[in-house]
Amino acid sequence: MAAGAKAAQSQPAQSQPAQSRTGEHLEGSAAVRVRDLTVAFRTPEGLLPAISGVSIDLARGQITGLVGESGSGKSTLALTLLNAVPDPGQVTSGSVTVDGIGDVLALQGKNLRRVRGASIGYVFQASQNSLNPLKPVGKQLLDLARSHGVGDLRGLVREARSLLDDMGMNAERVLASYQHELSGGMRQRVGIAFALVLNAHVVILDEPTTALDMLTQSSVLEIIKKVHARRHLTTLIISHDLAVIGDLADRVAVMYAGRIVEDGPTQQVLASPRHPYTRGLLTAMPRIAGDIGEARSLPGRPPDLSSIPRAGCVFRPRCPLATEACAAAEPPVTVTGEHLFACFVAAKDLS
Amino acid sequence: MIEIRDVTRTFAGRGGLLGRASVQALRGVDVTIPDRGAVSLIGESGCGKTTLGRILCGFEQFDGGDVVVDGQSLRELKPRDRVPYFRRVQLIHQDPYSALNPTRTIGQILADPLTLRARHVDADGDWVHRRRAELLGLVGLDPEYVLPRYPHMLSGGMRQRVVIARALTVDPQVLIADEAVSMIDVSLRLGILQLLRDLRDTAGVSVLFITHDVATARYIGDGGELYVIYRGMVVEHGSTETVIQQAAHPYTQSLLSAIPVLRGIEEPGPHRVVPTGPLDERVESPGCLFEPRCPFATVDCRTGVPALTRRGDTRQLHACLHPEHRSVVAVPVAGPAA
Amino acid sequence: MTISSLALSPEQLHQALQRSRQRSTRRWRLFVSTPGRIAASVVIVAFTLMAIVGPYLYPKNLPIDTRNIYAGPSLAHPLGTDFEGTDVLALLVTGSRYVLFAAAIAAVITFGTGTVAGLTAGYYPRLAGSSIMRVADFVLAVPGLPVLIVLLTIWQFGSPLAMGFVMGIFGWGGIARAVRAQTLSLRERGFVEAARGLGLPGRRIIFTELLPNLAPYIGMNLMLALPAFIYTEVGLFFLGVVPYTTSNWGVMLNNAVFQAGALTSTRALSYLLSPLICILLITISLVTLANAVDEFFNPRLRRI
Repeated sequence: MAAGAKAAQSQPAQSQPAQSRTGEHLEGSAAVRVRDLTVAFRTPEGLLPAISGVSIDLARGQITGLVGESGSGKSTLALTLLNAVPDPGQVTSGSVTVDGIGDVLALQGKNLRRVRGASIGYVFQASQNSLNPLKPVGKQLLDLARSHGVGDLRGLVREARSLLDDMGMNAERVLASYQHELSGGMRQRVGIAFALVLNAHVVILDEPTTALDMLTQSSVLEIIKKVHARRHLTTLIISHDLAVIGDLADRVAVMYAGRIVEDGPTQQVLASPRHPYTRGLLTAMPRIAGDIGEARSLPGRPPDLSSIPRAGCVFRPRCPLATEACAAAEPPVTVTGEHLFACFVAAKDLS
Repeated sequence: MIEIRDVTRTFAGRGGLLGRASVQALRGVDVTIPDRGAVSLIGESGCGKTTLGRILCGFEQFDGGDVVVDGQSLRELKPRDRVPYFRRVQLIHQDPYSALNPTRTIGQILADPLTLRARHVDADGDWVHRRRAELLGLVGLDPEYVLPRYPHMLSGGMRQRVVIARALTVDPQVLIADEAVSMIDVSLRLGILQLLRDLRDTAGVSVLFITHDVATARYIGDGGELYVIYRGMVVEHGSTETVIQQAAHPYTQSLLSAIPVLRGIEEPGPHRVVPTGPLDERVESPGCLFEPRCPFATVDCRTGVPALTRRGDTRQLHACLHPEHRSVVAVPVAGPAA
Repeated sequence: MTISSLALSPEQLHQALQRSRQRSTRRWRLFVSTPGRIAASVVIVAFTLMAIVGPYLYPKNLPIDTRNIYAGPSLAHPLGTDFEGTDVLALLVTGSRYVLFAAAIAAVITFGTGTVAGLTAGYYPRLAGSSIMRVADFVLAVPGLPVLIVLLTIWQFGSPLAMGFVMGIFGWGGIARAVRAQTLSLRERGFVEAARGLGLPGRRIIFTELLPNLAPYIGMNLMLALPAFIYTEVGLFFLGVVPYTTSNWGVMLNNAVFQAGALTSTRALSYLLSPLICILLITISLVTLANAVDEFFNPRLRRI
């Protein structure tokens, strides 16, 4: 990262629906590099972008957190990393380069399937019932192994058993159970085990603790930390809960309306948030510590696909600092050390 | 005022293939909800807090104890008085998506209970429409915008406000918010919490806030009381801030320790309490219910069930043989830089 | 991700509210939204008109022409003639009323009874549930077609009302079961519980909360049940077990096959095919529109 240098452009870009962020501000050595990604969905109102011009790095060995509310596009981004965007969505531009694999978006068919699971692991929400309700967990594990052409099935099962034991569960019992016999926390841990058992080096966790109780959430987060460290993974955690990200992630990227509005080391972003949305989120979050009188709710609500502003900064309708410049064009990315953000007003404040 | 006195509820076991024994959902719970008060029930899933809420609404039976609403006992209630009795307690569900009939407009949804009510109140032709607009204003929604729309056209936060407005149509005494903000975007939660707080004054209702997220309980207003429930039993009780800052029961402390810390603007408390043993097994214990998982359990914890005892001369109560204050809550560090 | 409202300015909102009243009729456009549906709608409307108006276009006793039996299509007789020289087209039109009315009446009885039974049994499971379901199970178990045939030895189904009634009365068991199952599950939904908590009376809840949510299911199944009823009655007439007092499509088929030997020779081909093709057209059209009916009742398709 160019320390202290600002790559902010002073002239406003053309007001096009998708502002291209070519990610020049990012280095090239990360384990996963997303460049200028735009994914759009076919709707009765036309082709609408769910994520627009997104560039982000997942640094090797680090836990990166992606924070966003509904409509932010975080889940779409996660699925795009696996080239698994569901119909009627399609990738209209950009690339997702994974170390040792190349551009995931260029893969198809058998090659793609090989990458999924074996190189990139994906953990679903516990509540999404991503386990087959008709088969015991152990059998599904074997299915997974066979479909990836794993030769040593016994070794794999042993590996899975030790993973499950590590996570504080009775591995024998869990492998013999059906999905409905396990609690939410157990299902989540099984999901993590499945994602790791093929030795993926990149793991994506989509809302890993949503719908879990506090104590279960805490233990799952501990497990994620432990597993990440032990296996030297590159981890991406997606959550709407800034507190979860704040506790777990080394870096955090904040998404709003399909764009990344702020990105930086977690402590720095939380202590000195630059983007008004990040600030607003921190002030509007119910917190256990601090003065409750200081909390202020954010006006308006997060946009969905059809109500994202087509011109200017996407956060403008809710922003207390909006100026005329904000209506004209999407703000470019300003970089300060490891911390970057996209806001005209915040950029001006810095200088 | 609503008094829940020593209420117990046991769900019969299913036995057979699934072989589940009977579950004691509530084991003699005492909760008092003062007029215009704010009471929070904190606990994890399965602790009985939702069951208690549903008993208050009349959706669930109870086995022992009694519920007394303004002096009227639920046990002695005649069947024909049931509907007016329970109308005073309105439930706000967790899920704003299924709480509204998808085939009707907001206008129709609100008009239904109001039309019924119009017969009791000496109402003129316009009363329903006026009251409808009034209530929508009270919950912070624009009637012109919301009335002609169907539920799927509104955001989760707006829907929840409509649900609250609907609950207010019958002039209830208590609003029971069961995980009412869990399915709503984080940036919108504060609005709903503050709305519940304000309704205590503007609509004269008291709020029973049921949640597993302790942080949200702080925002439903002053004078709030907190009850921590573990497996059907109240293990700690006191004013909200006191329980949070000076929790004495190890279970409460473990809940507070589990709250993720916003590193950069918060620091974890000096202590941290983590329950021992596997999380998912329910072990019955002859003594203190929490004993199998308590990191501070001693031998005598296994023999006697600790009763709720007052702590010194405070209003705080806890059910522990060896209560000890441990600072587990995160502490704010320097606030967000301007 | 739900599609919530668009961000509109106050002026646009006002206009939108005005337009919304006109747009509530927009739903009907679902029935003409694809070429297939347009064709299907035209067919159904045409046959409905034929059933209602058709018989008035012809004299009560159709002319016979014994010199011109089993003729093929010609200018005078676009679809040929039957065993008496009567115009096939005339037969089709006059026969349509019985066939379509009987099916419609059967559908109304089946779905009417079944829905009421299912809703009541589902909403009041303890009070009425089991007794209603016993009756429904009995009805479901009764073998409809054989019983119909036996009944026919005692009772003549001269009027479509009678035929429709009997078909309907044996058919409501399955609908009752299905509606009850859906009611039981709908009952637990948040908005139904809320309605109970607000003190709304049971009847009110059934009509305003439950029924509209069942409408897509009922509507769609009704569309699919109509062809089934048509087959049943046409089948009965074709088999010759019904002593006919009026001519209808089933009778035409019976005559064509058993008297003209249409299955073994090319004689009277148009006499055989005409009713068959009508039935086919109606069936395909109803099935095509079944989806449209489902969408019609689906609130998520309504946009302001």
